[in-house]
Amino acid sequence: MAVSASFGSAIETIERAPDQPERYCEAFLSVFPITGAAVSTIGEVLGSETLAASDAQSARIDELQFDLGEGPCWDAMRSALPVLAPAIRTTGPKKWPTFAQSVIREGVSSLFAFPLTVGPVRFGAIDLYSAAPVRLSDTQTKQAGAMAEMVSRHVLRRALTSIGEDPEAGISAYSRRLIHQASGVVLAQIDVSADDARLVIQGQAFAVGKSMMDVAQEILDGRLRFTRDGSRIEVAE
Amino acid sequence: MNDVTQRELLQTFSRLADTLVDDYDVVDLLQVLVDSCRDLLDTTAAGILLADSQGRLELVVSTSEASRLVEMMQLSAEAGPCIESFRSGRRVSVPDIEHTHDEWLQFRGAALAQGFRSMDALPLRLRDATIGTLNLLRAAPGDAPEDDIMAAQAFADVATIGILHERSIRESEVLSQQLQAALNSRIVIEQAKGVVSHTRGVPIDEAFTLMRDYARSHNLGLSSVAARLVDRSLRL
Repeated sequence: MAVSASFGSAIETIERAPDQPERYCEAFLSVFPITGAAVSTIGEVLGSETLAASDAQSARIDELQFDLGEGPCWDAMRSALPVLAPAIRTTGPKKWPTFAQSVIREGVSSLFAFPLTVGPVRFGAIDLYSAAPVRLSDTQTKQAGAMAEMVSRHVLRRALTSIGEDPEAGISAYSRRLIHQASGVVLAQIDVSADDARLVIQGQAFAVGKSMMDVAQEILDGRLRFTRDGSRIEVAE
Repeated sequence: MNDVTQRELLQTFSRLADTLVDDYDVVDLLQVLVDSCRDLLDTTAAGILLADSQGRLELVVSTSEASRLVEMMQLSAEAGPCIESFRSGRRVSVPDIEHTHDEWLQFRGAALAQGFRSMDALPLRLRDATIGTLNLLRAAPGDAPEDDIMAAQAFADVATIGILHERSIRESEVLSQQLQAALNSRIVIEQAKGVVSHTRGVPIDEAFTLMRDYARSHNLGLSSVAARLVDRSLRL
């Protein structure tokens, strides 16, 4: 099927470009019937910044949401769920009065936002827009969600590296052991790979301002638990 | 050492020789070695540490997975008999842990708190290079019986051979790869402990025992059981 072939190559594009956010936009444009895409971090964890936008309108949609503090990207980030607004002209004004008014005036018909999350840490969203009214099927929504998950890991890894967070710095061999054990607990709790479980611990540590070692110890003591509900991962203390 | 343990010692070496013949799990081999030190020699606890590519020593096996013991071994690898033996490539005997110099303060405190009074650290040597250490801890102060040390050094040599395979000894690249493989197995074992701890609702130490029992009763290597637990193709 043509659709799944292009989805496969889009996944590959994202996988091969951990440091090139502009390639993520290309990947979304190659699979979905949209006009533009933008990848942004929002909120407290990594701050609000557009990492890449495929066109001026996409960049503008993100900027508006940063400035107004409302819009689908905020809702997607906060809920850790996709936000679909295929008919923003009719549904938008109720949900996002100021934002919807602006984008409708600029000729946007459909908007979709997918959250950037790693484990319980929510730090951004991918916005897709279309000038002509379009819908995303269930399959397309799932595919976009899977692509957003991959983008999430790249974005968080890159952010942690650029901040100069060396997860190994100052960690004793004994602590590394505990972090490996905690990774095992986390991968069993939320069904992810060992590498991803480690990133979840690292992201959680960064988000709450603790060391990986402290977070690992909390996990091993059962004071911190991760739970999964579909694609959403929550943390319970 | 009395006659009974001499026979047991021979049996152990024979078992190790068997292990070395074919495809084997290095971590399993090293585990047999430290358990043999505890069971056959005048030793309360034992552990093997290997150096990674940056020269940091990591505990790969020990007679107990109790976190206090693991931590104490690692402290010894930071400032204690273990790192000294590794750096010098020689045996370091500590007949009285209580009266050691203050640079070993943390190690000393941890060892005494767990009731250890004396220790020997033996190098895992390959010609000029030292790849790790075997550490023997005793509850009583004093020197270890010389026979015990000879046997333990022989164990350490077997461990070295086990890690390196005799065929590839000359190639230093292969040496570091194999060392890294042994250390990576340990990472996966730690992750697997976490998995089992969660799925069975048991403490980490107990998770290790469950894994080991499963590996033994199914005649599988500990590392491969751990890898399957981590990639979720096996559930305990």
